[in-house]
Amino acid sequence: MAAGSFLAPAPVVRRVRGYFAPVNRGVGAPVIFDPAELGRFSLDAPPAPWVSLGWIRNFARKAASKTTPIMAGIPAAVLEQTRETLDAHVSFQFLSWTKLTMGLAAGSQHMNLLVPVAGSAGQDSARGDGGTAVPAVVIQSGATATFLPLAAADAAGFSAGQIVAVDVDYAGQTGFVGSPVSGAYVKAPLTDVDYVRRVTFNVATVATVATSGAVGLTLADALPGGVPAAGMKVQAVAGFVDREGGSFFQEWSALFVMEGAQGERIFFHYPRLQSLGSAAETATALAGKQGGSQHGSLERVMLAGEFRALPVTDPLDGERVVCYRSFLPGANAVI
Amino acid sequence: MQNAKDSFYLALRTRLVGINPERTILLRAVLRPGILVEEAEAPFAQLPTDVFVLRWLGLGVDQDLPSEMVAAECEVLYSTLGTQSFGGLDRGRALAEMDSELVGMLTPFWTPKLNYAVQPAAAMLSNVFWDEPVFGAVTAVRDRLSRTARVVVYSYEEGGELAGGWGN
Repeated sequence: MAAGSFLAPAPVVRRVRGYFAPVNRGVGAPVIFDPAELGRFSLDAPPAPWVSLGWIRNFARKAASKTTPIMAGIPAAVLEQTRETLDAHVSFQFLSWTKLTMGLAAGSQHMNLLVPVAGSAGQDSARGDGGTAVPAVVIQSGATATFLPLAAADAAGFSAGQIVAVDVDYAGQTGFVGSPVSGAYVKAPLTDVDYVRRVTFNVATVATVATSGAVGLTLADALPGGVPAAGMKVQAVAGFVDREGGSFFQEWSALFVMEGAQGERIFFHYPRLQSLGSAAETATALAGKQGGSQHGSLERVMLAGEFRALPVTDPLDGERVVCYRSFLPGANAVI
Repeated sequence: MQNAKDSFYLALRTRLVGINPERTILLRAVLRPGILVEEAEAPFAQLPTDVFVLRWLGLGVDQDLPSEMVAAECEVLYSTLGTQSFGGLDRGRALAEMDSELVGMLTPFWTPKLNYAVQPAAAMLSNVFWDEPVFGAVTAVRDRLSRTARVVVYSYEEGGELAGGWGN
């Protein structure tokens, strides 16, 4: 062993972090992660367009590809083998409930519960995924990803701490809708003008509301879609809802990172992941770190996700693959 | 292993200065950050209050790896009487502050391994790393509140260390 290097044992990792990037469903274009160029990014500040999904638990990947032997001779012996099917699954649990993690783990279309007009409960307009909503308001010029200028009367209708959805009116279009993530696929024209804002992932929490001076909403985090496009409106959100059933499968580009104690990194990059199961939760008892025997009845409910990897064609050699596993060794480690 | 123990202690001491520079101890006529290694000081009749005391306990070695891994258990002891200005009635708050400081000192859960037996300290090749702390229950003796936390500190033995260390 050369001086200045040491024999690094297998990586020791504490936890796994997940990152999301949107797939352009319209043209079928995933986001490709280049570990050679970006592999040393700060885990708290991923490079655009990757968005942190937080720490995840019980990350498990399973190759479901099958190989078939090609037999020859008498008696028959394996001459060579061929890959018959290409398939892989990934499962894990999210440690946070956010619009993004819920949307990915839902297994189907995930929607925003728009704040309804007063008195709609029990009326004909009431629906399991939200009834007639308070009308959306127009965003004035000068908007940024974190500030939505509004008319004073419109701004007064919002409050700090409220969640808002920002997207365009539904105008009868079909196909994938929602920005920056396709939230649904519309097979036939609908009548709900708020439909795109019901399914959009372009949501944020209001930090402050100003009704004088610079009138508008200051957001706690930047909108996932960045600066709102012309024609986008804002609407208050009461919560989120997903359904068991439906025909929509969310698709996303995924990156999972394990950071070892010696600074090494293991990446699992799935350019295309789609939900494999339905929405599910996993509950674990809260066990105090003090090692006491009294665990009580408190449980942490985690979103459980199971996904199927879809293939992409690697432009390097034209091979179809579903996952890239990369390893960046720690400093001074002999390979 | 001594390099790992030294690196762990110095990492915690450096981080403590950043977290709470006011936590100090006058020891052998020198004002130092409020953390010390028990085995590197003269025996105490009673551990000092409002400082962190590191006590090394168990030890394990995994020799099946390409580089031997050593696991040393470190017990961190700390206690407080509160402050005189509040008549000790703030001793619970003072202990909670030390709990928080210890969590901060242990994060992130690794530090570069250095050889402090030479001057200046020489960087080695690997990192020292540790697990999350396991906190014990508070014990109260009269007006003194105490707590211990245990951390297992891991390191890989490097070539230069093995000659006088664990053997092959």
